Amino acid sequence: MIAVEDIKARAKDLLESGKVRAVLGYRRSSAGLLAEPAFMTTPEETAALVLDTTCVENLALYLVNEKKRMKHARQSDKRPLAIVAKGCDSRAITVLLQENHIRRDEVIVLGVSCENGGMIDTRKLNKALRGKAATSAAFDGASSVKVSYIGGGATLPAKDVLADRCLECAKAYPIDTDFFFGEKVDERSYGPRFTAVSAFAEKSSEERSDFWAGHFERCIRCFACRAVCPMCYCDECVVDSTNFIVNPTTTADEKANRVRWINRSASPSENAMYHMVRAMHLAGRCTDCGECERVCPVNIPLRLLNTMLEHEALEMFQYTPGLDAEQPSLISSFRDGDPNDFVR
Amino acid sequence: MEATLKKEKLGQWIAALQKHGDVFAPDFVEDAWEFTKVKSGAEVPLDHTNTVRPAKGFVFPQREVLYRFRLENGKAPELTDSEPKVKPAVVFGVRPCDGRAMVRNDRVFACGFSDPYYQARRDKVVFVGLACNAPPSPNCFCVSLGGSPHSEDGLDVLMTELDGRYHIKATTDKGKDLVTRARDLFQDPNAADNKEVRNAHAIALEHPQRAISTMETVVEALRRNFTSPLWDKLAQACIGCGACTYLCPSCHCFDINDEVTGKSPLTGERVRTWDNCQFPDFTMHSSGHNPREDTGARLRQRICHKLLYFVENHKMQQCTGCGRCITHCPVGIDIVKIANVMEEGVWQ
Repeated sequence: MIAVEDIKARAKDLLESGKVRAVLGYRRSSAGLLAEPAFMTTPEETAALVLDTTCVENLALYLVNEKKRMKHARQSDKRPLAIVAKGCDSRAITVLLQENHIRRDEVIVLGVSCENGGMIDTRKLNKALRGKAATSAAFDGASSVKVSYIGGGATLPAKDVLADRCLECAKAYPIDTDFFFGEKVDERSYGPRFTAVSAFAEKSSEERSDFWAGHFERCIRCFACRAVCPMCYCDECVVDSTNFIVNPTTTADEKANRVRWINRSASPSENAMYHMVRAMHLAGRCTDCGECERVCPVNIPLRLLNTMLEHEALEMFQYTPGLDAEQPSLISSFRDGDPNDFVR
Repeated sequence: MEATLKKEKLGQWIAALQKHGDVFAPDFVEDAWEFTKVKSGAEVPLDHTNTVRPAKGFVFPQREVLYRFRLENGKAPELTDSEPKVKPAVVFGVRPCDGRAMVRNDRVFACGFSDPYYQARRDKVVFVGLACNAPPSPNCFCVSLGGSPHSEDGLDVLMTELDGRYHIKATTDKGKDLVTRARDLFQDPNAADNKEVRNAHAIALEHPQRAISTMETVVEALRRNFTSPLWDKLAQACIGCGACTYLCPSCHCFDINDEVTGKSPLTGERVRTWDNCQFPDFTMHSSGHNPREDTGARLRQRICHKLLYFVENHKMQQCTGCGRCITHCPVGIDIVKIANVMEEGVWQ
C-alpha cells in the first residue's frame, strides 16, 4: 500500500529545497467525486495532496501545456516540474520524451503504482446509479468499491465501476521514475488486453459503421478529447477554424487561403472526419490513459477507437508505445526487412 | 390555468400531443439522460436527474443555415433565404433552471431585435417543465441565483409530481393550448391538490444546495478582482475545451462561416454555429495577436459574462445554477467556488 504521507513528504521536500518550480499532483475537488489536478508551488500546499481511486487525470498533459505557456511567459523559471504519474501517465511522459517534445531533465517523475487498485470510471458509476452523482468512492477490500450519493449508498463490484483500461492494464506501475511509491504489480486479474477491441472486431463492417455513425452524430465538437490528450500538442490542428501559426511575415493571402479541411459545423460527416484524423495521429502514440473517453460530455467511446490502433501497432509491428524513451517512435522509423519497398 | 393529471393518463396526453408534432422527453441513453423523441406509445416515467445537454438546442441549434448562395461565372450571385421550417414540438421534463435559462436566451435573441431563426423555433417549441421534488444534484445552486426547484420562468407549463398524479400549471397561451387539446384527461385541482403542491414545493426548497452570495455582492467582487492573479491560479488546470459552455443552457455565442458545397458553379451555405469563449481562436485576431491569450483570461470572461456583464446589461445573472459546467468539467473547475473565492479575495 502506498502511504500518501510519503508522497507529500517528497513533494514538500522538492519544493522546500527549490529543486522544482511546482509539483503537479491531485487534491480533493469542490466539483464532485473526482480529485482535481493541483499545481503546488509552496511546501504548505502539499498538505492537500491525495492519491486514491479518484485520481483519474493524466497530468502529463500539463507538461505539454506548461511548455506552450512558457514560450510566451515574461519570466521563465527553468527549474523542472515534478509530476505524480501512474503507470499509463508515465508511459505518456515516455512518448513525449521519445518524440523529443520534452527533455528528461525538465521533469521529476513521482511514480505511483496502482497496485491492485485502479481508477473509477464515472460513466460506469452513472450507469449503475442512473444518473445520480456519486459523492464518494473508495475501495472496500480488493474487489469491491463503496460509493455514496445524496440520499444513499451502494457497494459495487470493482470490475463494474473501474475504468476498462484499468481492468485490461498489463503494467500498473510507472517506468523511468525519479521516485517510486508502491509495489510493482504487472498482471491484474480482471481481463486480458484488448478485450473490447476483440469483441468489436467480431462485428460486421455494417454494424461497426452504424455504431460509429450513431456515436459521431452526438459529438458537439467541444474538443475536450483533443484538449485533454497529452499527445495532441500540435500548434495548429486541421480542425481549427483559424490559423494559429501567424507571425508578422504571414501574408494576407496565406491567411485567407488556409485550407479548411473540416467545417466548423458539427455534422455527422465532419465529426467522423475529426475523430478519424485524431485516431490516426495517435497510432503508435496512445498509451491508453483513457482521458479522451472520460472527458467526452456526450459519452462517445473514444478509447475503443484508439485501442484499435494500439492493437494494430502491436499486431503488425510488435510495437507498444511508451515503454522505452530510447526506442524510435513507430511512425518515424522503418525496418530494413519491411515487405513494402516504398518505406525504405 | 391549473389542472391535475393522473399519472396513468400521461401517455394519453402525450399521444394527443403527438398528433400535432413531435414530443421529446429525457431518456436514459446508455449512461446519461438525453432529450429523446418519444416513440408512439412509449412510456415517459419523468424520473430523471437533469439531462447532460440542456433544452437550448431546440431553439438555438448548434448549426443553423442562414442562407444559401450560388455563384455562376459572369452572373450576379444568387442568395436564397433559409428560414427554418420548424415542426411543432413539445419538450417534457425541462428542469426549472433550464426554463429560466430560456428567459436569458430570449433577452439575447428576442428582445429589442428579434432573431428570425431563433423566434421561428421559439414560437413552435413548447417547454413543459418538471419541478424538482427530489434532493438536488450535488452541484445544483438555483436558489442562490434567484431561482427555485419549482420556478415557472421561461416554461410554458410546470408539472409537479404528486402522489399518483401530476399538478399542471400552464402559464402561457402555448402551454394552455396543450391542456385544452386533451381537456377531458384533466381534473380541476381541489383544495387537497393545492395543499399537496404547496407542500411539495416547500419541502424542495428545504433541501440543502450549494450557494453563492447575492447578485450585488458577486458583481462587486468580480469588479474588484478583475486584474487579480487569482484568475490564473483558478484556471491552471483548465484544458481549454468547450464542455462548460456547450453544455450551458444559457451560453449563446456563435460564429458565422461560409461552407462551400460545390465548386463550379460555386454553391454553399452561410451557417451559424455555436462558438465558445474557452477556445483560443474565439478572440484570435487576424494578426496573430490574441487579447485573451491564456486560460485565466478566458475563464474570467466566462464567469464575468455570467455574473457581471449580463447583470450590467440585463439586470439579471446569466447563470441559473444548473451545475452542468461544474459536473462535466474534466478538471473540476467550479463556478460556485470561483464566485466565493473572488468575494474573499484569497484562495489557499
